[in-house]
Amino acid sequence: MARDVMPAGAESLREQGLAKPWGTIIAFLLPALTIYVAFTAYPALRTLWNSFHKVLPRREEAIGLANYIELARDDIFWRAVRNTIMWACTSPLVEVSVALVLALALYAKVPGARFFRVAWFTPVLMSYIVVGILWLWIYNYDWGPVNVALRALGLGYFAMPWLGDPKTALPSLIFVTSWMWVGFNMVVLLAALHSLPREVIEAAELDNCGWGGKLVFVILPLIRATLLNLIVLSFIGKMKIFDLVWITTKGNPLWATETVSTYVYKRAFEWTTFDLGYPSTIAAVWFVIVLATVLTLTWVFRLREKLEY
Amino acid sequence: MAVVTLDKLTKVYDRAHLPAADAVSLDVQHGEFMVLLGPSGCGKTTTLRMIAGLESISAGTLSIDGRVVNQVPAKDRDIAMVFQSYALYPHMTVKDNLAFGLKRRSIQRAEIERRVVAVADTLGLSGLLDRKPHALSGGQRQRVALGRAIVRDPKVFLFDEPLSNLDAALRVSTRGELAKLHRRLGATMIYVTHDQVEAMTLGSRICIMNGGKVVQVGAPLDVYQHPANTFVAAFLGNPPMNLLPGRATGEHGGLTVQIGEATIVLPSDKWAPLPAGAAVTLGIRPESVSEQVANGGAFATLPAEIAQVELLGAETILAARIPGVERDVMARVGATSKLKVGARCTLSLDLSAMHLFDAAGDALAHKA
Amino acid sequence: MSALKRAILLLLLTFYTCFAAGPFVWAAMLSLRTTTEIHRNHFALPRPAHWEKFPEAWFNSNYSVYFANSTQIVISAVLILTLVGSMAAHCLARYRFRLNRVIYFILFSTIIFPPQITIISLFQILVQYGLYNSKIGLTLVYVAIQLPLTIYILESFFARIPSDLFDAARIDGYSDWEIFWRVSFPIALPAISTTVILNFILLWNEFLYAVVLITEEANRTLPLGIQRFIGDSQEDVGMIATGLMIAIIPVVVVYAFFSEKLIQGMTAGAVK
Repeated sequence: MARDVMPAGAESLREQGLAKPWGTIIAFLLPALTIYVAFTAYPALRTLWNSFHKVLPRREEAIGLANYIELARDDIFWRAVRNTIMWACTSPLVEVSVALVLALALYAKVPGARFFRVAWFTPVLMSYIVVGILWLWIYNYDWGPVNVALRALGLGYFAMPWLGDPKTALPSLIFVTSWMWVGFNMVVLLAALHSLPREVIEAAELDNCGWGGKLVFVILPLIRATLLNLIVLSFIGKMKIFDLVWITTKGNPLWATETVSTYVYKRAFEWTTFDLGYPSTIAAVWFVIVLATVLTLTWVFRLREKLEY
Repeated sequence: MAVVTLDKLTKVYDRAHLPAADAVSLDVQHGEFMVLLGPSGCGKTTTLRMIAGLESISAGTLSIDGRVVNQVPAKDRDIAMVFQSYALYPHMTVKDNLAFGLKRRSIQRAEIERRVVAVADTLGLSGLLDRKPHALSGGQRQRVALGRAIVRDPKVFLFDEPLSNLDAALRVSTRGELAKLHRRLGATMIYVTHDQVEAMTLGSRICIMNGGKVVQVGAPLDVYQHPANTFVAAFLGNPPMNLLPGRATGEHGGLTVQIGEATIVLPSDKWAPLPAGAAVTLGIRPESVSEQVANGGAFATLPAEIAQVELLGAETILAARIPGVERDVMARVGATSKLKVGARCTLSLDLSAMHLFDAAGDALAHKA
Repeated sequence: MSALKRAILLLLLTFYTCFAAGPFVWAAMLSLRTTTEIHRNHFALPRPAHWEKFPEAWFNSNYSVYFANSTQIVISAVLILTLVGSMAAHCLARYRFRLNRVIYFILFSTIIFPPQITIISLFQILVQYGLYNSKIGLTLVYVAIQLPLTIYILESFFARIPSDLFDAARIDGYSDWEIFWRVSFPIALPAISTTVILNFILLWNEFLYAVVLITEEANRTLPLGIQRFIGDSQEDVGMIATGLMIAIIPVVVVYAFFSEKLIQGMTAGAVK
């Protein structure tokens, strides 16, 4: 991918032992690499270091694997892990399948496709904070549209404090993120559908494929790479989720919506022990879990397989 | 009975001023190789796609085997198409590509197997059955596209410029293969191309189109020797027919035509008198223009100056300037010609091979 | 497609549009009504429309401060990101050297990193260097978190520029920096503007790093401000809605003018 841009008269320069313009390369990369090392690489390593210590405001104490042992027995942590992973597994499936249906609908040359595309993309643009507040109101027990509509339809029995009940809190939040991201996935899928070679689909038409046949035998196989890509992206995004939970439930009720990110924040900045070592341990373990799951997913989907035509 | 009948088939796209295909009428006979020939945008591909069912028909009727199929979906028309880009299914192997259409039509597995193997054999694809399209060369992909159509055993084969993506040498050899295939299968084929060499060599009949309309239909030699207008005359043949603007002078009983500064007298047994002052176009093919005056036969002579000499080895193409005529006259002469650029000579035009077109470009008929 | 199928389809699509855009429309309506009016009927239209609530939120609730902070931080971060990111992307795309792909991979792989792995130490580091609770500190952190994505998007674009252009520039005697600034950068403007818009939106909405690294009221960004707001005045639905609209409006403006670019930018790399 990188091209070789040799200075004019490279032969003579090589003879002088200066084949590559190292000065220039370093000059171009230095700012980015400095920022990277200072604000990403070094902090990551330091967090790892922290995990083996008790890190208090004025002193640090090496405690070996004590944090890790405690973590293994930390029920709240494992609850948070379960919640986050469940979120990261359900969301992509919902988001991508609904998005696929919508994208196919627009692909079928519905009038006003451009308008719908722009309109459906808007939820993605908003801050999770804004979205969270809006949905706090939507889920409001007394006057939120959800319960109001249920009561109006005579289904008042089903009206409930969606974010307050441990059984419905997490699914309600998953619904919110799906609401946000379906539009994004739809736009991507629509672009993928439009990039399919028209003549191949026409050939399928001549090969006795109706809408269903074309979808199953031609369209889906050809956009498979994009679909899987979206699933992985969505998975990664949900593993990182924080803002939405923080503004709506903060992990309540009873850890039902606690995610690893909210737990880390609480242990680091809200627990009265002020120890940064333990949350660092959580971060380190979580980092390994995320990396392992993403790599597994990528391997399983074999995303390296490119479709050339 | 004609297999495919187009009766004033018209296609108008939304928001277009002119129809892409305008009242196209054509009869394709059983077993015929009909070529739709014309420049880009002439409507030939649109017409083909209407026959296939990939474009809706705005007006007119399309019949296949006597049945009107305007509303019949493409998959039910018993036709197979070879696309310009081959349109192979990228995610399927060659074998699956060939078998797909048959599987979708619920044909017996054993029968599918038999047909696929037979066609792969004929086209030399037997060793490639497990490969995917991206691992094939252009020529191989083209053969798979062809195989996919043959395996369906359709009533009509449709070809949309199938050779245009091949390099020159491959194009020539594949042309020959296609001709052989047509003879072997005896199938009805409708073929779209802008290449007049393909049309001449492959077609049993050529349908020349321009601006959405059918200009002339006929056997290749027929259309070549008796073009209906200047468009057809110039389209077929390489180098194209010389079209010399002239004016009838009225002399010699109305048979004299002034070309530039020279005059030509037409043979009275072939041509009716022309009104004095009428603007005509004289058409003569380069092979009917020679540098020597041959013995016997009627020849018109024109003084000329050689502007360009192209030595092709087997023959020589001369471009000569006729005084008073803007465009150079092309002549096809033998390899032994010794003429050089700048030489003055006399060109002989074979009067029996001359064409006349009126001011509108339509051919003037010979005397009966 | 039959008329009935088409009608059902349109119905489905209209329903989904209401579902997707509904909450915002409702928020817009709420932002123009007073809280008392709202509690009487949560779904009525704003009659009369209380436009004065906007200046009220702006001046009385410190939104002007939050807005200014966000603007300052985000714009600085985006400018730095554009410059630093494009320099790095240009270098990685056009110069071949042994560590090239290694560096690219390292930078690119950090997209997967969960923020927790860096945020605790970042807190410590910024405190240590006196950058805690400062706009500069947050700006630099913002540059760091968006750098991988920016370089990823720009690198693939720079790599597609035909080498002939660079060879021609070399022959004309341009220096390496000039080649970057006068050839690469201008040609890549479409991709660069895409990353600018993308980074703007993502950083404008960013919350986690801001909430950890900023605690002083005077330095709060807009998302933090809103969160405080909702903490302080839970039931003042009207004012909260107005605040939300103030936060949304820049994004809507950008979207109105650059919807294509924005959509392209945010979905870049997702289509395979």
